[in-house]
Formats: sequence, C-alpha cells, structure tokens
Amino acid sequence: MHISEGVLSPAVLAGGAALAVVGTAIGLKKMDNAAIPRVALLSAAFFVASLIHVPVGPVGLHLVLNGLMGLLVGWPAVPAILIALLLQALLFQFGGLTVLGVNTVVMAAPAVICFWLFRPLLRRPGAPAAVGAFACGAVAILLSGLLVAAALLTTGQAFLQVARLVVLAHIPVMLVEGVITLFIFFFLQKVRPEMLEGIYA
Amino acid sequence: MRSTSFCLRKMPALHWGPLVCAVLGLLAAASPALAHRLVVFAYAEGRTIHTESKFVPDTPVRGGQVQVLDRQTGAVLLTGTTDEQGKFSFTIPDEAAARKMDLRIVVEAGMGHQGEWLLKAERYLPGLKPAGAAPPPAAPSAAEPPGAKAATLDQKMLEEALTRILERQLTPMREMLAEMSVRRTSLPDIIGGLGYIMGIFGLWAYFQSRGKKNP
Repeated sequence: MHISEGVLSPAVLAGGAALAVVGTAIGLKKMDNAAIPRVALLSAAFFVASLIHVPVGPVGLHLVLNGLMGLLVGWPAVPAILIALLLQALLFQFGGLTVLGVNTVVMAAPAVICFWLFRPLLRRPGAPAAVGAFACGAVAILLSGLLVAAALLTTGQAFLQVARLVVLAHIPVMLVEGVITLFIFFFLQKVRPEMLEGIYA
Repeated sequence: MRSTSFCLRKMPALHWGPLVCAVLGLLAAASPALAHRLVVFAYAEGRTIHTESKFVPDTPVRGGQVQVLDRQTGAVLLTGTTDEQGKFSFTIPDEAAARKMDLRIVVEAGMGHQGEWLLKAERYLPGLKPAGAAPPPAAPSAAEPPGAKAATLDQKMLEEALTRILERQLTPMREMLAEMSVRRTSLPDIIGGLGYIMGIFGLWAYFQSRGKKNP
C-alpha cells in the first residue's frame, strides 16, 4: 500500500500532506489522556504489521491493520498511523518522507471511515457485531486500495485499471484482515471491554 | 473498567489459547521479507547494459516498465519491459556514449511501486573502448617504426581478450554486490521503531498530563 518516492506529482504530495496535517490535528484533539496508551499500542502494532508477509499474489503482500485501528480508536488512528509510517520510511525505506502525507491519507482515511461506517453494527451484540468487525477489517483495505488508485490517477495511469489491479491483489489481505479484526474484536470484548469504549461512547 | 474483572474470571484461559495460536501462526508465516520495496541494479558488459529488478528480498519484478533516462536532461533514451526473471538488457545508445551521459534507470511495477538505479558514465564507458577508438597508449605510435605497430596491435587484442575474461569473472561479483547493497530490515530496526513509538506517545502523554495539572 505504500506508494514509492518519485511516483506522484508535487500537487498530489502537497494535497496529501495537507490532509494528513488536518487529520492529525483532529486526531490529537479527539485523543483524551486515557486513550494515549491504546493509540500507542496500535501504532506499534501497525508499525510491525507491515513485516508480516502474506505470501500470496504476484508481488507478495503484508498486513496493514488499519481497519482494526479505526475500530479501536477512531480519529486518533491518524496520528498513530502517521508516526508508524514515518518510522517505517526512516527504518525500513517503505514509502518515503515526501510521500508520507499521501501514504498517511491512504491508510488512515479508511480507518476513520470504517469506524463511523460500522460503529452502529458493532454496537449490536451477536452476528451484526461479527459482520461489522469483519467488514471493518476488509473494507478498510478495499478503501486503501481505491485511494492508492486515486492517488496514481494524476500520474496518467487509468484509474479503473490500477484500481482493479490493486483491489484484486489485495483480496487475500482483505480476508485475512477481516478475520483478524473479527477475532481481536471478540477477544477484547470478552477480556478487555474497556479497550472498545470508543465504539460505545 | 465496569465488567472487566468479572469477565476475566468468567472467561479464563479459554480465550487466550486461540489468540496465542493466531499470533504464533502469523509470526511463523512472517518472513523477514519486505515484499514491496523495489530495488534495481544495473551493470555494463561490453556494449550491453544489464538490469535486474526485484522486490526485496527476492521476488523478481515481472513485466515492470523500464525507462532509461539521461540524468541531466531527463530525456527518455529508451524503454522496455522486464522478463520473468526481472531482467532487462539493452545496448548502450550511441548518443549516451558520445555525450558521456549518466543513465538513470527507472523501473515501475504498477500500484505505486518504483525503484531506480543511477549508472554513472565512467561505469559503462570503459567497456566500450575496444570497439571504439584506439586506446590512449597507442596514440604516440605514429612516429615509431613499423615493427612497433604490430606490437600495439597485439597489445590491443590482448587488452580486448582480458576485458572479456574480466567481465565474465566479475559478473558474479557484481551480482553479489547488488545483493549486498540491498539494505535489509534488521531486528534492531524493528525494536528501535517500537521504542520510538512508545517514546513519542509517552512524551505526548507527559505534556498532556502537565497541561491538565496547571491550567
């Protein structure tokens, strides 16, 4: 999902950076003190998730976990993802510093969208919550794929073609992330329900 | 807070089991692979430049779009597509050799993946010499007797042969260098990153808590 350096035009880079700044500001504002450890933990999980290799497809893919992040923290997912991406760029050479803003938007926007989209489902017990949790994990990846395609649009690559390629390539990741999100949601609901208070608040 | 302790008592080891299994399973599936950093490596062999592109650590870039550009002007000299092994070779364009261009080789693999390699002129020009003008040592031969001419010819052939042999011997070394020039993620990187994250959020929490105390 990380877009490499030198692919995008300056206008797209600037736009992405601006959006990322706004999102980070909102996220920091919405993050109360009690939530800080939770956000930090998820930022760390996101940072490491990229190293977990899903050996499918032509390129080989890795976990993203942005759906899970959105589900658990909502808006503060933006600063959490920003910091994780910054460190990935510095330490792993994933993406790059100039593309940091765009990559943040690509991965954080779906997290926040899924949070608001599936919150009503997640609040209901039983099957709806299960569907919501799975969808949260899967749809976040789908949206990220579409955002990658949208960002590449300005480089002259046909949107539909890239979108189809990205989405098809990420179907295994969507399934894996859906299952992981579902699993962690139910696990936390039983063992650590206070971690889910963002959903019920 | 509300029902945590109750739930914990009610749901003992039962739910930790699957989670632990899942985490272990994922770690087992996790290789130190960074599947989507694209690295390009190029070297010259005589009049040909070979390029090799792969996703770190070892997945060849199949069907990647290769562009060879002049670094200074950014003009595209030629384009091509990588094969099944992620390789693409081309003969050095005459204008590039004539103007001693530094070549920027950009490989694009779609979905926002891109990598590049800079091939400096002095890295590929020496290989061209035998086919081009006479080497510099032969220059002062004009004033010498005819016997010396044969000697320089022999020397030229010898040089050519040596160059060929060296090229052949150096190719595996070059590939090894390419292999080594790829920076791999190490455990200290990962642990360091986790530490940074904790530190950054710790700092934020610290300033938040101070702000709350004395408003």
